[in-house]
Amino acid sequence: MMRYLKLVNFEINRFSKIYISLLLITLVSQFVGVIIGTKNFLNGARDTMSEERLSEAAFVTNNGGIDFTYIANSLWFQGPIALSAVALIFYIFLIWYRDWFGKNTFIYRLLMLPTSRLTIYFSKATAIFLMVLGLIALQIIILPMENALFNSTVPEVFLNMEMSSSSIMSVNVVLSFIIPSTFTQFLLSYGAGLMVMSILFTAIMFERSFRIKGIIFGLVYCGITAALFLAPVFVMGLGNFYFYPNELFGLLLALGIIVTGLSIWLGSWLLKNRVTV
Amino acid sequence: MIEVKKISKKYGRKKILDGVSFTANKGEVTCLIGINGVGKTTTLKAIMGLTPYKGEILIDDQKMTKDSYEKITFIPDAPIMLPQMTIKQAMVFMADFYTSWNSRRANQLMGFFKLKEETPISELSKGNTAKLNLMLGLSLDVDYVLMDEPFSGIDMFSREQIADVFASHLIEDRGVIITTHEIGDIEHLIDKVILLDNGTVLREFNTEEMREEEGKSVVDVMREVYQA
Repeated sequence: MMRYLKLVNFEINRFSKIYISLLLITLVSQFVGVIIGTKNFLNGARDTMSEERLSEAAFVTNNGGIDFTYIANSLWFQGPIALSAVALIFYIFLIWYRDWFGKNTFIYRLLMLPTSRLTIYFSKATAIFLMVLGLIALQIIILPMENALFNSTVPEVFLNMEMSSSSIMSVNVVLSFIIPSTFTQFLLSYGAGLMVMSILFTAIMFERSFRIKGIIFGLVYCGITAALFLAPVFVMGLGNFYFYPNELFGLLLALGIIVTGLSIWLGSWLLKNRVTV
Repeated sequence: MIEVKKISKKYGRKKILDGVSFTANKGEVTCLIGINGVGKTTTLKAIMGLTPYKGEILIDDQKMTKDSYEKITFIPDAPIMLPQMTIKQAMVFMADFYTSWNSRRANQLMGFFKLKEETPISELSKGNTAKLNLMLGLSLDVDYVLMDEPFSGIDMFSREQIADVFASHLIEDRGVIITTHEIGDIEHLIDKVILLDNGTVLREFNTEEMREEEGKSVVDVMREVYQA
């Protein structure tokens, strides 16, 4: 257990510079987005009011006011979320390949550690998962601050409404996806994320084991697992069966667990028995 | 004892190892010799579980498990610690993960090789990288040490230093398997030679017996075999 925790810590430290940069980019970009977004709106409103000789109330009646969704839909706000998501997806590959192709072949040392290969596999998966959770935690922490900054910057007359953080999260598509409102949703969203990561890890292990043939095996494996997981949806699409929402949820959950378990078993088996350094 | 029993290995269609068998005992230095591409490194990787193979390898009558890495270490000819680490961090990493890590010996070897703790690994020359690999590998209290071309691309003085370390720290009662082209530097330390060619064991002999019975050095036998 200690070696597992040490490896998780080690993996996180290795990515820490890029990870801290992602956190800072998110922090700075979203706060700048709040300031610039409100400033643009207020400048635009003032220009319109002076050109059309409108009072503030008349402007709001004609053009509408502003609320936080205006900010949350901007590139300043969603850009860093997308950037972090892309960086972490890219890191799923990098976390393995840099050990083989870096300046030094660190995979030698990693695979010669007196710990099971499954521990190495799980430490990498855990590191990525914790980094995802860290980014989400940052978003949950800074959202009320951004909201407070927004509410204090925009004059009351222009405010459509003062939104709570939870209503922002439920209204915004991206935020509602990354910050689930219920535990079941959390399990579904992040369970699906874990499943995709385990499938990609297995595809990488296929490639590391069989090289060019392994790329084909990996792609086929991705296709088979995707088809298996989505089988109930396909079956429904073909019109042969109809599943009640609860049945569909149960089937997807069961298939997700099977696919994740299979991928972890196969990936760690390949890492133990087939990969070549 | 390390027992390698009829191991075979293919890369694509090319056979690298074809039924290689030999044993390496504790307290003995076994040298795998052969021209480039005969499967020396692949044999070491197979023993360490770093590449799949057909056949069987036993270490003290048991198959390789995770715990075996506390008993056997592999010193490759390439840098294997992260370049951004300092030597000190590499030592801490080893101490963190191996119960067999011997800090006292590590510090002794650091002093002997004149390596500095604060030096980043990325700044080490090829010779110093080899010394670092050696220091990290030999600082584990293991029963077996596998070394791949420890003298490859290293200057004469560093080779002498490494050979000195072999004599003083390596032999003791450990079993050693070494691959090298630079036989001259360590010929006096070698107990057993395995000559490989085309993925098979061409000849296996005890160096002392060879010297006493046939009056030949390892290099003489190599010439005989490979120039024939």
